[in-house]
Amino acid sequence: MAEAKNLQKYVDIFRDLTAADIMTRNPVTLTPDKKVARAKEMMKIKKISGIPIVNSDQFLVGIISIEDIIKALEYGRINETLETVMTRDVVTLHPEENLPAIVDKFSTYKLGRFPVVDGDGRLRGIIAREDILHGILEKFNLIYIHDTKRNTKLDQEFSLITGERLRVDEAEFHYNIDNSDITSAGTGAALLKQFLKKKGIDHEIARRVGIATYEAETNVVIHSCSKGDIYCFLKPDRIIVRVTDSGIGIEDLDKAMTEGFSTASDYVREFGFGAGMGIPNMNRFADKLVILSEKKVGTQVEIVFFLPAVSWNPGNPSP
Amino acid sequence: MTARELVEILDGEIISGESRLDEEVQSIGAGDMMSDILALAKPGMVVLTAHTSPQSVRTGMVTELLGLVVVQNKNIPPATIELARQNDFLLIRTKGFMFSTCGKLYTAGFKGIDG
Repeated sequence: MAEAKNLQKYVDIFRDLTAADIMTRNPVTLTPDKKVARAKEMMKIKKISGIPIVNSDQFLVGIISIEDIIKALEYGRINETLETVMTRDVVTLHPEENLPAIVDKFSTYKLGRFPVVDGDGRLRGIIAREDILHGILEKFNLIYIHDTKRNTKLDQEFSLITGERLRVDEAEFHYNIDNSDITSAGTGAALLKQFLKKKGIDHEIARRVGIATYEAETNVVIHSCSKGDIYCFLKPDRIIVRVTDSGIGIEDLDKAMTEGFSTASDYVREFGFGAGMGIPNMNRFADKLVILSEKKVGTQVEIVFFLPAVSWNPGNPSP
Repeated sequence: MTARELVEILDGEIISGESRLDEEVQSIGAGDMMSDILALAKPGMVVLTAHTSPQSVRTGMVTELLGLVVVQNKNIPPATIELARQNDFLLIRTKGFMFSTCGKLYTAGFKGIDG
């Protein structure tokens, strides 16, 4: 299956994603005293293929799937209670389990969904197979457009992520990246971080912006063979950083996304670069990241950081 | 434990950031690759490194390290020292090699981010 193959490729890149990140919170549940017919109706209405069964304290006691319902229909048990029909021996995920463990469970058990249960046995969410890809795309929104359209997309005035107008001459912060001096790499990121702190931006967010921008800036200096620019746009609910160059472009973004892969020269490595962590690091500290790259045209990196009011916090449900 | 205690343990030379010696060392790490430091550094951390280009200080500033310890008594370029002094960034040099420096600090009770 093509989807599974793609999934495998991204599992390692997104290995920091946990079950808590991907799961659907507050899933539809039923208590064991309800009838099987009720579960059937709910699946139809909500277009879902399985429902966790919980007791009144939200402890997981079983699960009912479409397969169970088909069986119940076959044996005329549709008006019995879920308690008599549900699967009691449920394979679950813990909220802290990471993406490789989750994918592994899906391929081992061939089940369509796994309830996510905390250490006490309380239901926290549910992960269906499609949630994995959805989770990867939603949380990171990493897009790679690998065709000639990129040519016209580079240097555009609109946000690659939100589509809003971003005029570089209206950026709140601008820094020219000079690729002729490797020892200057990171200067723009340090200045941007200072600028954000002066603007009263939350300390930890300014730090994340600094780190992700440092990596993007370093990439321009050591890889692009061209000068570049850092722009920062401050919006009420988010910070958008755009780092652009008109250099040689990224040959193979899949490889560039792989931790440990680097095309850096020995000279560059002497400066402590070339660990092959640049783009993975950007991804780690960004809320959303898009990279557009065209060979011999250049690279444009857009990074979005949400400000606290709408910040996505794995510890709390999104507002 | 404070940075001052760390300096005593290593018999370190304080190159810049004297005003920060009484700050608490939150954790200690070691590495020469900038991206590893960017990925793993925590605010208030001290990083041991053999890397002396200005990038090491700049990386430390962006990630909010408490400071850097340059091991092996390495020669530190003037540009690195100047950047550290301008920003009151703690820069210490020790004669010890990486392995023994890590060992001394671990034995003294300092912890890494993984315990």
